[in-house]
Amino acid sequence: MASDMRLPVLRKAVSVSSAGSDRADHKDLVVPGDVITSDPGFMRGHGTYIDEEKLTASVAGEVERVDKLICVRPIKTRFNGEVGDVVVGRITEVQQKRWKVETNSRLDSVLLLSSVNLPGGELRRRSAEDELTMRDYLQEGDLISAEVQSVFSDGALLLHTRSLKYGKLGQGVLVQISPALIKRQKTHFHNLPCGASIILGNNGFVWLYPTPGQQEEEAGGFYTSLEPVSLADREVISRLRNCLLALAAHKVLLYDTSILYCYESSLPHQVKDILKPEVMEEIIMLTHHKLMEQES
Amino acid sequence: MPTDNKRVRRPEVSQSPSVFACRPAAVLPAAGPRADGRRRDQVDVRPVFVRCGLVSQAKGSAYIEAGNSKLMCCVYGPRETDRKDETDMKCGRLITDMRFAPFSCPERGSWIQGSEEKDLSLMLQESLRPAVCLHRYPRSQVEVNVMVLENSGSVLSHAITCASLALADAGIEMYDLVLGCSIRQDGASYMVDPTYLEENGCSSGSEDNQGRLTVAFLPSLNQISGLQSDGEMAEETLTAGVRTCIEGCYKLYPVIQQALAKATRKAAPPPSES
Amino acid sequence: MATVQVSEAEKVYILHGIRDDLRVDGRSCEDYRHMEIETDVVSNTDGSAKVTLGHTVVLVGIKAEIGKPRPMVPDEGYLEFFVDCSANATPEFEGRGGEELGTELSNTLYKVFNNKRSLDMKSLCISPGEHCWLLYVDVLLLQCDGNLYDAISIAVKAALFNTKIPRVHISADDEGGKEIELSDDPYDCVRINVENVPCIVTLCKVGHRHVVDATLQEKACSVASLIISVTHKGTVTCVRKVGGGSLDPESIFEMTEAGKRVGKALHAPLMKLLQQEESLGKKRQKVGFLG
Repeated sequence: MASDMRLPVLRKAVSVSSAGSDRADHKDLVVPGDVITSDPGFMRGHGTYIDEEKLTASVAGEVERVDKLICVRPIKTRFNGEVGDVVVGRITEVQQKRWKVETNSRLDSVLLLSSVNLPGGELRRRSAEDELTMRDYLQEGDLISAEVQSVFSDGALLLHTRSLKYGKLGQGVLVQISPALIKRQKTHFHNLPCGASIILGNNGFVWLYPTPGQQEEEAGGFYTSLEPVSLADREVISRLRNCLLALAAHKVLLYDTSILYCYESSLPHQVKDILKPEVMEEIIMLTHHKLMEQES
Repeated sequence: MPTDNKRVRRPEVSQSPSVFACRPAAVLPAAGPRADGRRRDQVDVRPVFVRCGLVSQAKGSAYIEAGNSKLMCCVYGPRETDRKDETDMKCGRLITDMRFAPFSCPERGSWIQGSEEKDLSLMLQESLRPAVCLHRYPRSQVEVNVMVLENSGSVLSHAITCASLALADAGIEMYDLVLGCSIRQDGASYMVDPTYLEENGCSSGSEDNQGRLTVAFLPSLNQISGLQSDGEMAEETLTAGVRTCIEGCYKLYPVIQQALAKATRKAAPPPSES
Repeated sequence: MATVQVSEAEKVYILHGIRDDLRVDGRSCEDYRHMEIETDVVSNTDGSAKVTLGHTVVLVGIKAEIGKPRPMVPDEGYLEFFVDCSANATPEFEGRGGEELGTELSNTLYKVFNNKRSLDMKSLCISPGEHCWLLYVDVLLLQCDGNLYDAISIAVKAALFNTKIPRVHISADDEGGKEIELSDDPYDCVRINVENVPCIVTLCKVGHRHVVDATLQEKACSVASLIISVTHKGTVTCVRKVGGGSLDPESIFEMTEAGKRVGKALHAPLMKLLQQEESLGKKRQKVGFLG
């Protein structure tokens, strides 16, 4: 029955940038209206426009240069999907032969009925009956993990769940953070040694769930177990959730190693204390040290 | 403040003559019988007169009279509604509206819905919502309109009862009837189903434990669907008050059941001779 | 209230967690989130306070004006509440969407203060029947992350504590009428006694248990909540059931008991914090909206 009341204090964000190491390609930060270059030899990419032969930035972000192409990548942006990205999304609408999925991007993504696995792994043409029973499989509000198949011309994503590791998600916790903080890796599905599993969606949606037992490897995630999750697993998941929020608040790149270090650094504290500002700072500093040690 | 542009404006500052009266504000007697002969500290509800099916145009209607309080309720629907969001696909909507006629209270009210009326409408909706089987009416809406013709105390609790009768009269599927009961706590004693003067009068006794409580109850399922109180009371007094209101609802139950059965019998076609 | 969509499996997870007294963010069923309170943030008001509870941010400003008392109670001043759900908080409040919620919140605030003990209204009277102090309490919702009632009530109490009403003198006029004079010293003011001002506790019924300070996800799993406003002595000034579900009488009694316990425990740390902030005086580093 604790209520933690306090006076607000001006806090400086913990500087996690690697101050020691010098980088050769020092990134420039620009704001809209800043002139990047007047050299006509460059091609303009996303986030720029040409004004009187001068290349000017149109968003606030970092300048990226690839050979002759200059583009500005904004720091805070909606998720711009690319083919092959793993996303976690929520069903918003059930339409004829497809579902609309919310993935934190500009437009809702599309999941076609022909892009999901049928129960039992059957391979057949979808019939009219399948259309009518769409709601039985995925309803409004359900969470799914999927892969981006292609990108439409207007920027909407086409998703598919044609693999056993994708499909409807069962019991667990969803954490929403900025897509820019998710590091691109080979695999986004991790079974963490602390006792929980995590799906790091490229769109900023991170899904934490208890590690499924060996016998529960069902096809395409049709069967969602509604058995109560054990208290130990629950505590691990709550701790991970708070760690993720702490890492996101201090703008640390998220990948399995950083999450694990953060988890270990937070063990001396109680789960609900992790989100207190001073405890958060302490944990992030420790995580940062461990990451630096590992790099060198 | 909302201004009424459709009617002829009365002078800006007009007051009821009671402000100029020499009598002091109504004071509740500290003990002894109440003004209308009922007793304190007993579950003594006013005798209730109920009739269903008065308004022929409405799908269902009910009229209730308790002492001098007179209320009327009409139910329209279920009607199709525009699909605004996904929840509408699965179950219907219940829209409630409670209004006071300007001549219903000792002070003249206005036709524009004030914040108190909005608050009462919201309470009415919250009390009726658990009882109506809205999942049987997807994409539809049911409208409940209550009009208070004379406000002589406990208006909200009688409105709840009246509305659930009208819903039953309209043939809307419900899990149970909803009955309302209210009490006024005055120091150590309480008065069930208070009149207007008893509700709003200031107490002559102790300053402790002054308050009003309204409870909406589903008798067969033993569930409370609405609860509202104001005035400062100790927690034990509040709990006791809720139990008293539940008792009051149980007392009212047989009367309401009988009235509904009578109305259904009247409306039913005569048995065919065969 | 802003709503989030939750899948069935997530609801089951949250339900079982609450049953085992371990919520999604590690709190127990009766714990509050991290709360920050600051007063005197807006200089044009007579009293103001900003409360941050998790991600919910509420700003309250109080202005005192001289007006005519109500005809039925000529020797008392009164309060006027207004809650504005601005579209900044969530896109659902755009246009008139937030109006309904705002009316509901202000009506509840009126009920909470509708008794003789919470605030001494007689002290707001200047001359009976002619002049009295009106306190306009304006609440602004800046960010909405669940549990609005609690945050608003704490902010109102803090703002009332911070309110400084200028001292007035009534002097007889030449023609026999009364004239009001404001004292010249800007620091000569009257403070309000907020000891008996209640705080609201919202208890959401999830499964068979209740939770205090529910997040939006937990709210989506509950069918009904109980709002109870408690003073520091443990008396209850307002009880309301909200939501479209029904409650068992036993659960209501249980929740009232829990609400009274939690509410009573809120007052002491709050008053201590407010007095501590006051004692810092000019040395206090104002954070305002930049923190």
